Amino acid sequence: MSSDSRAQLGLGASARRAVAVSTGKAARHGARRLGMGDGTTVPGKVTLAIDPGALAGLLAEIPRGAVLVTGSNGKGTTCRMLAQVMRASELHPVVNAEGANQSAGLATTMVARAALTGHLPADSRAVGVFEVDEGSFPEVLRQIRQPTAVVFTNIFRDQLDRYLEPAYIKALLEQAMQSLPPATALVLNADDPRVAFVAPEASNPRLYFGVEDPGSCRGEADPTSDFPRCPRCDSELTYTSVYYAHLGHWACHTCGLSRPQPEVRLTKADLAGPYSARLLVTTPAGEATLEIPLPGLYNAYNALAAVAAATHCRLPEHSLTAIEQTTTAFFRMEKVRVAGHDVYLALAKNANGYTEVLRAVLGDRQPKQMLLGLNDYPGKQPDTSWIWDVDFGSQTGLIPAPVISGNRATDLAVRLKYAGWGGPGDDTGLAVEPDPVRAFQAALARAPAGQPLWVVSTAGVLWEVRRWLTDHGYVRQLWHEQTGAGTWQA
Amino acid sequence: MAGMRIAVCYLYPDIMSTYGDHGNLETILRRCEWRNIAVDVTELRLRDRLTPDAVDLIMIGDGGESQQHLVAPDLCKVKGECISEAVARGAAALAVGGGYELFGRFCQPERGAELRGISLFDAWTVRQNAVLSGHYATISAAHADRFIGELVVRWRDTLLVGFENHGGGTYLGATAQPLGQVISGHGNNGDGTEGVILGSAVGTYLRGPCLPKNPALADYLIGAAISRRYGAADLPPLADDLEEAARADAMRRAQDAARTARTARAKQRLSAFAQASLEHGWHARASATRAALHVSARHRPARDSLKRSGIARSGGSR
Repeated sequence: MSSDSRAQLGLGASARRAVAVSTGKAARHGARRLGMGDGTTVPGKVTLAIDPGALAGLLAEIPRGAVLVTGSNGKGTTCRMLAQVMRASELHPVVNAEGANQSAGLATTMVARAALTGHLPADSRAVGVFEVDEGSFPEVLRQIRQPTAVVFTNIFRDQLDRYLEPAYIKALLEQAMQSLPPATALVLNADDPRVAFVAPEASNPRLYFGVEDPGSCRGEADPTSDFPRCPRCDSELTYTSVYYAHLGHWACHTCGLSRPQPEVRLTKADLAGPYSARLLVTTPAGEATLEIPLPGLYNAYNALAAVAAATHCRLPEHSLTAIEQTTTAFFRMEKVRVAGHDVYLALAKNANGYTEVLRAVLGDRQPKQMLLGLNDYPGKQPDTSWIWDVDFGSQTGLIPAPVISGNRATDLAVRLKYAGWGGPGDDTGLAVEPDPVRAFQAALARAPAGQPLWVVSTAGVLWEVRRWLTDHGYVRQLWHEQTGAGTWQA
Repeated sequence: MAGMRIAVCYLYPDIMSTYGDHGNLETILRRCEWRNIAVDVTELRLRDRLTPDAVDLIMIGDGGESQQHLVAPDLCKVKGECISEAVARGAAALAVGGGYELFGRFCQPERGAELRGISLFDAWTVRQNAVLSGHYATISAAHADRFIGELVVRWRDTLLVGFENHGGGTYLGATAQPLGQVISGHGNNGDGTEGVILGSAVGTYLRGPCLPKNPALADYLIGAAISRRYGAADLPPLADDLEEAARADAMRRAQDAARTARTARAKQRLSAFAQASLEHGWHARASATRAALHVSARHRPARDSLKRSGIARSGGSR
């Protein structure tokens, strides 16, 4: 190839990038004007259709590289917490919209930030913080060639593709990790045996986080858990303590493998409140007390993952307290004021999620008004068998007169009946209303004056409730918060 | 039914319980509790033995291939003979999905050597598709290789509903009786049969879990367990309004899925026809038409049986 034609190619590629980005931007504005969808993936798809190299090119322009967060649960919250710490450290994090965690979603984030020239504005303090869908990890890794760190939160059985065993997800992640540069650090949950020894042959530096608070232990093995076997020899693992599901202090008595000693530790957690948690976190640099605005042990793990990633990035210790200012994102205990009630929207998308959200909200053992939802999605497999793995039994009596909603409401109602919430001669006042909006109105009407209402559900019901809240002016449109200036700029 | 007591053995609760399978156990427990029948549950893990005389109902749930690899040797060496003996002496059993496959003669996994089953059922399971090697490159490739969806089965004078998701096809030997006939879905291997029944032992691909939404099947198993212990059973009926509502919803979903599949097939035929017309003119068009007619003729029986069962929405009158 002559130098002339190479130059031409270069110009062509750059022009193509500019066209791709500006078309993506136009699609973004168009989608918003027309109120089509949430606009978090379509612009990216448009851009990538015109220039498949656009995402890799734009990502390579972030001067401080990117931290990727992947795993089954807690990716988005971990990212938001880490971004807060980065802002307090005078960095400018670029964060993708929650759930927009495949290539198209990432591309949308980057297109929103890029100028019409097809390049990012020069910003030496910019750093990427991206949640990445565990199934899309290989594909995204092909676009981000040099992530500074990859955070693995946990691996649970997926709710929609339950036959895709955790082993399959793990193999998928490990295969992709073969292309990781050796300098990329792995920030790993020591308490999850599926994660702690992921890709054992990789020589990448590893930083572990884990919980070491005897007060937060479950008394007995969690009924909802799906215990993994030894990652090295496939024997049965023994646990000296279980924090939730299969996360805990584990060891294999056959081959001697055991939970690695974490550098970043949660040494004390006060989890009683339904609105917040107080955590004592120990890092190699010292101790910090964090009052996070999210309840439950699963959010404590998210905070711990964020602190571990911050520790790896050598962010100053004093900036950790910025985690306390993390705002709740949509569906993550998102608070909306409606007709004199505080309404909390909480996503519970799988067995462990549902169990932990209920435990977080009912940790003080005070009865609460709730709408519980369950839905499946057109075109996806209609398997909701995981609701039988949710620990509803230990919450019996704490949710008086629940309203059950979603296109699988009757399945959930049967589940609750067999968990002891109903049954012959037992009037729990359980109401079944498949339509989410009508169910929401009924649940509001049932809530005593001034008392909060929790809406705990899979995403479908939450979307419909949220659309109604948006239409009635209780919340702003999603894209204002998610891809608007507030989220992805400093 | 006060004073009555049955013994249930639940196999591998820590391994073969991937799809909310202990919901089946919970259903047995509650429906007995509501009738004042006491239930002793013994959870049997790897290496635990069972005593054929001391069990009235044996349950095993579903698991993926790695779970099957884990339990198959233990089933054959430690528990198999006792299970078969218990069933021969009248015990009831429910084996679902991967557990059903291992209660047959053998099953062929996607990876590794054939797994020997306990031969309780005269049945065997083979992979339906030719490509057997390695991991799937994508999730959709893995999906394409499985039977996934709502499953409706005629069993005695009722319909059972559930959800199926399996990569293997199960074939019944000459001595085996199918549990029922497929009304909608795939079932054993696409030949219109679903599951197997031997005495009071049931093997099935119905998941969901299946007992909560099919109280008739749950009560059949409870009744069989009581009969084995006390000679006869007369179970008082329970109020099953919620269960019936969930069943009706499942049938509606099956009906919608059948309609969607029909539309997809019609679209496929239409586009093949258009393509052939464009590319090859009349000759190919005629053969595409023949193929289209052949396909629609093949699928007519399933559609008709759906109508006969009264769950098809269009042309519902018999």
